[in-house]
Amino acid sequence: MSTNAAKNLFIYGSLLCFVVLVILTVDTMGKLDKRAPEITEQVNAGKKVWHKYDCIGCHTILGNGSYFAPDLTKAVERKPKEYLKKFIMDPRTIKPNSAMPKLGLSEKEADNLIAFLDWMDKVDTNGWPPKPILAGAISGKTASTGQMLFQKNDCSACHQINGIGGTAGPDLTHIGNVRPDVEWHIRHLKDPDTVVPDSAMPSFHHLSDEDLRQIGEYLITLK
Amino acid sequence: MKYQSHQIAHNFYTASVLLFLVQIIVGIVAALQFIWPDFFILNFNTIRTLHINALVVWLLMGMMGATYYVVTEESETELWSIPLGHLQFWATVIAVTAVVVGYIVMGLNPQTNMEVFGTRLLNEGREYIEAPRWADILIVVSVLLFLFNCIMTVFKTKKFTAVQGVLLGGLTFLALMYLPGMFYTKSMVKDQFWWWWVVHLWVEGSWELIAAALLAFMLHKLLGADVKVLAKWMYIETGLVLFTGILGLGHHYYWIGTPKYWLWVGGIFSSLEPIPLLLMVWDAFRTTRETRGVVQNKIGLYLTVAHAIFNFVGAGLWGVIHTLPQVNQWTHGTQITTAHGHLAFYGAYVLLIVAMMYVTLPSIKGVKDFNQSRGFLSFWWMTISMIFIVITITGAGMVQTYLERLLGLDYVTVKASYNLWFWIFRAIFGVGFLVGVLILVTDILTLGKKSVAVE
Repeated sequence: MSTNAAKNLFIYGSLLCFVVLVILTVDTMGKLDKRAPEITEQVNAGKKVWHKYDCIGCHTILGNGSYFAPDLTKAVERKPKEYLKKFIMDPRTIKPNSAMPKLGLSEKEADNLIAFLDWMDKVDTNGWPPKPILAGAISGKTASTGQMLFQKNDCSACHQINGIGGTAGPDLTHIGNVRPDVEWHIRHLKDPDTVVPDSAMPSFHHLSDEDLRQIGEYLITLK
Repeated sequence: MKYQSHQIAHNFYTASVLLFLVQIIVGIVAALQFIWPDFFILNFNTIRTLHINALVVWLLMGMMGATYYVVTEESETELWSIPLGHLQFWATVIAVTAVVVGYIVMGLNPQTNMEVFGTRLLNEGREYIEAPRWADILIVVSVLLFLFNCIMTVFKTKKFTAVQGVLLGGLTFLALMYLPGMFYTKSMVKDQFWWWWVVHLWVEGSWELIAAALLAFMLHKLLGADVKVLAKWMYIETGLVLFTGILGLGHHYYWIGTPKYWLWVGGIFSSLEPIPLLLMVWDAFRTTRETRGVVQNKIGLYLTVAHAIFNFVGAGLWGVIHTLPQVNQWTHGTQITTAHGHLAFYGAYVLLIVAMMYVTLPSIKGVKDFNQSRGFLSFWWMTISMIFIVITITGAGMVQTYLERLLGLDYVTVKASYNLWFWIFRAIFGVGFLVGVLILVTDILTLGKKSVAVE
C-alpha cells in the first residue's frame, strides 16, 4: 500500500464511520423519550440538585461516575423514600458510620432529588443492573407455588434460571418471553414430544393438572 | 535554543509536570479517603475532581507544548506569533487556577455553587467536565488561539508534513468534540449520551490521533527512520484507531437508557480497538530494529517504546476484557473500570507526554548530552508502582463484581470490609508513584543545567 492510499483510506474511512455515528445518534435521539417516563418540572429540578452538589463526584448513576459510593440508578427500588429523604439531608443521624457527609440539602431539594431518582429508576436500561444471581435464588420474597413446585421437582437439575441450575436442558431465564403460553407449558410438561419433536425431557404426567398449571404460570413470569 | 518559540513549549512542559505532581498528591489523598472518608478537609468528590481535571489539563498542556515544538521543527520556522503563544500560555494558567479555586470554594461550601444563566457558577457537577460554562468558553478560546497560531505557522513555510497534518487534525477534532458537552439537557440519558461523545471521542479518538502523530515524530527524531515509511504506518494506525474507536463509542451506550442495537455496535467495534494499538507496538519495535543506529537519547526511546506497549496493555487489553456486553453487564460501574482507566491513561498519554519531554527538551535547552539515569529511575518507580496499583484495583474490581453483582452483597459492605486491603495497598503504591513523579519533576526542571554550567 502506498502512503497516499493509506492516507485516503484514513481520511475517507474515518469520515464514513463518523457519518454512521451521526445517523445512529439521530435515530437514538428519536427513540430516547419513549424509553423513559415524561420529565416533569420536579424531575428537572432534582437533576439540577444532582449537579449542584456534584453527586457524581462520589456516586455512579447508570454505572458512570466515581465508584466511591453506591450506584443510584435503582436507588428508590428497594429503599423507602422517607428513609432516603432523611438520609440525604443528614446521613450520619440515620447511619452513624456512613461515609457520606452532610451537604446541606434543603427539604425541597431532597424531595426534588428523590423525584429525579424515581425517574431514573424507570428508565429502560436494557436490564442493567442485572439481578444478583444468588440473591435472586434466596430472595426475601415468598416463592410462588409454581416456583416451589419447580424446586420440589428439581427442574434446576437440567434447567438454568439466572445462571443457577444445570445445562442439560434449555436455559429458562427468559422463557416467559419465548413461550408466553401457559397451555403450551402444560402440554409440554405432560408430554414433551408432542410440542418439541424428539425432546429429551421426561414426561411429568404424574403431576396433578393444578400443579402443572402452577408451574406453567411460574414459567411465564420468567422474562 | 534553536527557535525562540521553543520557550513557549518549555513553559508548557514546566506547568505540565507541576500539575502532574498536584494530580498525584491529591490522588493519594483520594486513595486514603477510600480507607478514611473524613481524612481531609475537602470531601472525596472535590479531591477526585481535582485528581482527574489535573490529569486532563496537564496532558493537554503537555500536548500543546509538544505541538508548539513539532510545528516549528517541521515547518523550520518560528511560530506565526510568539507573543500570541505566550499570551495563550498565561491565559491558560490563569483560567486553570481560577477553575481550581472555584472547585475548592464549592467543596468547602456547596451553597456557593449557585445557578447563573441556567448553569452552575463553580462546578457543573458532570464527571470530567466539571469546569463551569464560563471556563468552557475560555478553554475553547484558548484552544482556538493555539490552533490558529500553529496552523498559520504551517502556512508560513507551507511544509505540509504528514505528522503536522495528523497532529493538527487531531487537535481540531479535539476542539470540536468539546462542544457536545456544552449544553444542558433535562434528561440524564441524553446528558450522558452527549457527555460520552466528549469523553470517548477525546480519549479514544482525537487523543489517539495526537499520540500516533507524536509517536511517528519521536521515532523519526530518535532513530532517523524514513519519514515516508513512518507516515504510511501512521495513516494505517490512525485509520484503524478511528474505524474501531468512533463506533466503539457504542460500548458506553449499553446500559444508559439507549436502544439495544448499541450492544451489537459497541460490542463488535470496541472488541477490535486493541488491533491498531498492537500495530503501534510492532511499529515501534520494527523501526527500532531496522534503523540499528546508535541512539544517543536512550531514555527518550525507552519511554517511546514503553508508551506503545502500555498503551496496548492498558487501553487495549484492560479495555477489551470488559468491553463485551455479556461481561460488561456485570462489571459496568465497578473498580474494573477504574483499573482500566489508570493503566490506559498511564500508558497511552502519561508516558507519551513524558517521552515527548525527554525527546525534545535537550534541543530546547540546547544540550547535546544529559544525565539520563534520573529519567530511568523515575520511569521504574512510576511504572512498577502503577502496575501494582492496577493489580490491586483489578483485584478489588473482581471481588466487587463477584460479591456485589453476582452474590448481591451490599455495595458498602464490600467496599468497607472485603476490599479494605486493596485500598491500603493501593495507597502504599501511590506513594511509590509519587517518588517517581518527584524524581521526574526534578529532572525535567533541572535537565541539562549542569552541562550548561560546564560549557
